[in-house]
Amino acid sequence: MKSIRIYLVVALLSTITLVNFVSALHGYRASMAEAQQLFDRQLADTASLLSAMPASADRPKVVERTGHLAFQVWSPGGRLLMRSANAPPQPINALEEGFENVNFSGQRWRVYSHFSSERNYWTQVAEPVGLHFHLADKVVLESVIPILLGLPVAGLLIWFVVGHGLKSLHLLADALRQKRADDLSPLPLENAPEELLPVVQSTNALLARLQASFERERRFSADAAHELRTPISAIKVHTHNLERELSQYRLPQSPLSLAKLQRSVERMAHLVEQILNLYRTTPDHYPAKFEPLDLHELAREVIAEQHADFAGRGQAIELTGGAAPLEADRFALTILLKNLLNNANKYTPENGRVEVNTRVDGDRVVLRVDDTGPGIAEEEYGRVFERFYRVGGDRHPVPVGGSGLGLSIVQHIARLHHAEIQLDKSKFGRGLSIQVRLPASPGYLSPKGDSSD
Amino acid sequence: MLLTSVIIILREVLEAALLLSILLAMSHFLHLRLRWFYAALAAGVAGSVVYGVQLAAISDAFDGVGQELLNAALQIAIYLLLLVIASLLVVNYYTANYYAGERHRGILSAAMTAAVAMAVLREGSEIFIYLSAFRYSPQPWSGVLAGSLLGAGIGFSVGALFYYLLVGLPRRRALLVTCVLLTLVAGGMVLQATQLLIQADWLPAQVPLWDSSALVAEGSLAGQMMYALVGYEATPTSLQVILYTASVAAMALLLLLTRYHQKKIRTARDVSQAR
Repeated sequence: MKSIRIYLVVALLSTITLVNFVSALHGYRASMAEAQQLFDRQLADTASLLSAMPASADRPKVVERTGHLAFQVWSPGGRLLMRSANAPPQPINALEEGFENVNFSGQRWRVYSHFSSERNYWTQVAEPVGLHFHLADKVVLESVIPILLGLPVAGLLIWFVVGHGLKSLHLLADALRQKRADDLSPLPLENAPEELLPVVQSTNALLARLQASFERERRFSADAAHELRTPISAIKVHTHNLERELSQYRLPQSPLSLAKLQRSVERMAHLVEQILNLYRTTPDHYPAKFEPLDLHELAREVIAEQHADFAGRGQAIELTGGAAPLEADRFALTILLKNLLNNANKYTPENGRVEVNTRVDGDRVVLRVDDTGPGIAEEEYGRVFERFYRVGGDRHPVPVGGSGLGLSIVQHIARLHHAEIQLDKSKFGRGLSIQVRLPASPGYLSPKGDSSD
Repeated sequence: MLLTSVIIILREVLEAALLLSILLAMSHFLHLRLRWFYAALAAGVAGSVVYGVQLAAISDAFDGVGQELLNAALQIAIYLLLLVIASLLVVNYYTANYYAGERHRGILSAAMTAAVAMAVLREGSEIFIYLSAFRYSPQPWSGVLAGSLLGAGIGFSVGALFYYLLVGLPRRRALLVTCVLLTLVAGGMVLQATQLLIQADWLPAQVPLWDSSALVAEGSLAGQMMYALVGYEATPTSLQVILYTASVAAMALLLLLTRYHQKKIRTARDVSQAR
């Protein structure tokens, strides 16, 4: 039973057809019996009438025009007194009172034999059986045909009525389908039909439980962020103090172990921050606050903030393109930009180039980051968004530390904004190009392909 | 004419509709796609038209009993296919948790396609022959047409409701009910084939063993239903009764053996998995 509508239409139509047709058949049989009685009564009346007519045995009278009727009038001595032209000269049937079906003149007849005690005449009246059936069929068909013709109309009406009845179900399905992943507000209960009320109530109860569960998760992640950051900051302070204390021993340089410890702590701090970002930006959990902003301006701010990292490695970073208005979550988009720039900074060699471009393309705002790093092989494009996946693993051609979470976070944020991500070869000939296509601000549509470069 | 048309069309449609609804319900339980059904329907309808058109040549074959022999052959072929279908139903039920394996699924679909195509061919050709007889008849068509529509309407409605009744069965009982129904329908096929072979003088004619027409008349709706489902005949001969019983017993035995074999395989598998 794949479709409730088809099930209801077929089942209802079959029931109606069955009941109506069986009733019509019963009606037909009853009508036929009734018609038979009527015809028999007519035959009996005709026989009585004929037996009252004067007739002579000397010269049997032959009546020419009798329509479908055939008759004979016999004297008690077995002499023919009168007959219709279509009746044979010998008795149609044995002279016994009553009805019988008999064959003569090439067809089947219904015959009534009657004896008139007043005049001592035997009268036999016959009518073709086929005529009876034909007339009865004609009468009964008048009542059957409307049922046959009405059935397609009934089917059509049932189709529409059932469709209308199922509208509430479709509306509920639409309401559920259109819910955003982070929208756990209850479904409206007003106007819900009685049959759907339990479904809506159960769904709302489930949504409430999910809301409570997500809230608990959010609180846990906020607490975890605090609890993890504090000891890492403390370790950083202690390593700094340790470095100072060791310098009092006038060592020519800091011990190697201390440098490794500092790098590990930095890496751990970065990893914890990325894990928290990954968790926070999960579309199902993240309570996004969409506001109008200009991606170009935001990119300028993030570049300014991270400029020191690029300058430290002698890399040239350039922001091109123009205003790119959109409605987005500022915090999430800042994390996205930081991750893309951080990756470009890490994987581009010293004195390399990075270009950030923003533009509007039709109904999309495009953010593109090109670098002159080693790039990513095309067959790896799908995998780099997996969590903790790093191209080449620990044997990455560029010996930089990474958590393998940056692009997963970027993908979460893109999903949150219904954006698409495309990886390609960099415009510089070597390196990677990452393009994020976000929906432009409503009302701001430029002709397709219009670039503000 | 109306009543005659109702009885003739109802008899043919009901027989095909009941078999179809049982096989469609089976298809539903085994999650088979319905492509087999459409193919069978198309093949059956095309075959029945060809059969109707070639009726004269078919009837003249085998010393004038070609039609009886062909119909009997179709009925026996359907019986054999139903044996295969019912056994595969049991195999699938016990092997893959109601889901037919790919190999069985293919054989099952092919067997069902062939069985339905033959059933539609057989019944459709009868309807085609009956209706085409009125082509040159001076009698008005309205009675024949109305009767045919009434008969077909009742037949299809019973088939549709029967299908929903079967589909609505709990899965636990579905196998048993479907197997019992298939066994009865298969027995009915053999009974009809026997009657046709008696008509063709290939089997000896005998005195009827009993006459139950006073209890259930063959022409009544209940009689037609029973004819379609179990091949009911009010005046069967002893040969018909023997062959019917033997065919039903053979199918029941085959089903029981298949079920026993499949249960054994499943138990052995469960034991090996438990280890």
